[in-house]
Amino acid sequence: MTQDLRSAFPDTILEVGKEDSNLVVLVGDIGHFALQPFAEACPGRYYNVGILEPTIISMAAGMASVGLYPVVHTIAPFLIERSFEQLKLDFCYQELGGTLMSVGSAFEYSTLGGTHHTYDDIALVRSLPGSEVIYPASPKELNLLFKQTYANGNLTYIRMTRQDHGVDFSDDKIQFGKGILVKEGCDITLIAAGPQLKNIMGSLELLSNAGIDAEILYYPTLKPFDAELARQSINKTKRVLTVEEHIELGGLGDQVLRAIQGIDGVSMDNLCIPDHFLRNYGTYQEHCEKLGFTPQNITNMALKLCNMNNSD
Amino acid sequence: MAKVENIDLRMNIVDLVRRGNGGHIPSAFSIVDIIDTVYSDFLKHDSENPDWEGRDIFILSKGHGCAALYVVLHKNGYLQQKDMDEYLSFQGILGGHPDRTKVPGAEASTGSLGHGLPFAVGIALGLKVQKKSNRVIVLVGDGECHEGTIWESALVAQSLGLDNLCCFIDYNGSADQILPHPNIAKQWEAFGWGIHEIDGHNPDEIRNELGDFYKRSEGVPTAIIANTVKGKGVSFLQKHGPWHYKVPDDKEYEAIKEELQS
Repeated sequence: MTQDLRSAFPDTILEVGKEDSNLVVLVGDIGHFALQPFAEACPGRYYNVGILEPTIISMAAGMASVGLYPVVHTIAPFLIERSFEQLKLDFCYQELGGTLMSVGSAFEYSTLGGTHHTYDDIALVRSLPGSEVIYPASPKELNLLFKQTYANGNLTYIRMTRQDHGVDFSDDKIQFGKGILVKEGCDITLIAAGPQLKNIMGSLELLSNAGIDAEILYYPTLKPFDAELARQSINKTKRVLTVEEHIELGGLGDQVLRAIQGIDGVSMDNLCIPDHFLRNYGTYQEHCEKLGFTPQNITNMALKLCNMNNSD
Repeated sequence: MAKVENIDLRMNIVDLVRRGNGGHIPSAFSIVDIIDTVYSDFLKHDSENPDWEGRDIFILSKGHGCAALYVVLHKNGYLQQKDMDEYLSFQGILGGHPDRTKVPGAEASTGSLGHGLPFAVGIALGLKVQKKSNRVIVLVGDGECHEGTIWESALVAQSLGLDNLCCFIDYNGSADQILPHPNIAKQWEAFGWGIHEIDGHNPDEIRNELGDFYKRSEGVPTAIIANTVKGKGVSFLQKHGPWHYKVPDDKEYEAIKEELQS
C-alpha cells in the first residue's frame, strides 16, 4: 500500500479496478494524468468527460443504474456545490450508489480564493438521505475505507485531503462508520476530523505540561456518525473540543453536540471555519495559523474549557 | 380536426387526471403517441420482469408528462388498475412525477428538467462498457432544452459515439412562448447528432425513424425532432393556456370525449 496520501487515490483505484470490472471512473479534467495507470490497466472504464460536473454526476448515476460502480473525481466545490441537485435526485432520490472523491478539501487550494474553497461540503452531503461521508487523512484510511464502501449501493462522499495526520492506525481500527479512540485521558475530550488530528496530537505535550490528561478521538467517517464513542468519552470527561476544517453548521462539532444530548454539565467548544469567506491567499499553513488550527491554539482552547487560563 | 390516434389512451389520461384531481393533460397528449409506439413496436421489455437485463431502456426526461407513461405502462401490464385508481393518493405508487423506486417500468425519477438525458447518456455509456447491445430511448421537451445539462449531455453523447442512444425532442412550442430556440434541429445537428424530423403524432413516421435507429451503429447518437401539439386531439386543450395543469369538470370531460371520438 502506498505511503503517500497524494498517490493513495490513483493507487487505490488501480488496485480495486484490476479486481472489479464494474468499477468505472469519470473525471472532470482533474487527476487525468494521475489516473492513467488505471486507464491503461482497465481500458474502457476511464473517462475524462469534460468540464460539466452536473452532467457527469447524472451520467454516473445512469451507469450505477445498470450495475456499475462509478467513481467521480473533481474539485470539491464543483463536485458537491455545483452538482448538488444531481446528487440529491439522480443518486439519493433514485437510491443509486456511487463514490464522489474530491480534491481541494476546505482551503487546500490556498492561493485560488473562494471559487476553489469548500467549507460546507460535509454538511451538504450529510443532508442527503442515504448518503455517507468519509474524510480520510492517511493513505491507509483512504484505501481501506474506499474498499469498504465503493460497492455498498449508497452515495459515498470521500473528502480527500493532501494533508496526512501522520498517525498510523492498525487496519482493524479503520472501520467504516466507526470513530477511533486514539488516546485515553480523563480531563477533556479532543475530537478531530481529517488532518487536524495532527495539531491535536501536537497539543498533547503542551496540555500535559499544564497538567491536563486529554482523551483523543478521531472520526474518519462523519456519516454515519459513531455517536456512542463520543458519548462515552464526553460522559467521562464532561469537556469537549472539536477541531475541523469545515463550517460550524453540519460538521463534526454539530454531530458531537447532538451526540451529547442528555449528558449534564458538559462544556464544549468547536474550532472550525468561521462564518465568512476566507479571502487571504498564501499557503495552507498560513491559513491554518490565521484560523487557529495550531497546537498552541488548541491547547489554549482546551485549557479554557478546563477553566485554566494560559498566558501564552 | 384531423384524425387523432390513441383515443383510448388519451381518454385514460383524462380519466387518470380526473381521478387523482391533478396532472398535465396537454403535455401527456403531446407525447403519448411516441411513448405508445416505442413500447408497442420497438422496446425490448418484459412486464413480468421489469429489471430484465436484456431490456431496452425508455426514459421520460420531461417527467411532468408522466400520465402518458402511466397509461402506456398500464397497457403493457406493468401497472394494475388498482395502481391507476390510486394515482396521486397518499398510498399510491403513481405520483405527479415518476418515481423509479415505486413504479415498475419507470427507469428514472424525473420531474426536475434536465436530468433524464444525462442520466440516459450514463446508461448508454454503461451499456457500452458492459458490451451490451441494449438501446436507450429518452424523451425531452423543447422547453427542457433550455436547461444547460441538455447541451452538456448532447456534447458528451456525440463525443462518446453513443449510437445506442436516441433522443426524442417533443417540439410542441413550449419554449417558443418564453425563450425560443432559433432552430432546434440545427442546434442538435451542430452538437454532432444525427437529426431526423417527424410528425410526432404519426405512428408510421415514428416507426420509420425508430426502425432506422435500431439498425444504426455508426457512432452517432440519434435526435428525432418530433413536431407535436400540446393537447393534441382536443381543440380547447391545445397550446399553452390555463390547461397546462387543470382538471376538467364533468362538462369539459364530455366535451373532450366528444372531440376525441368525433
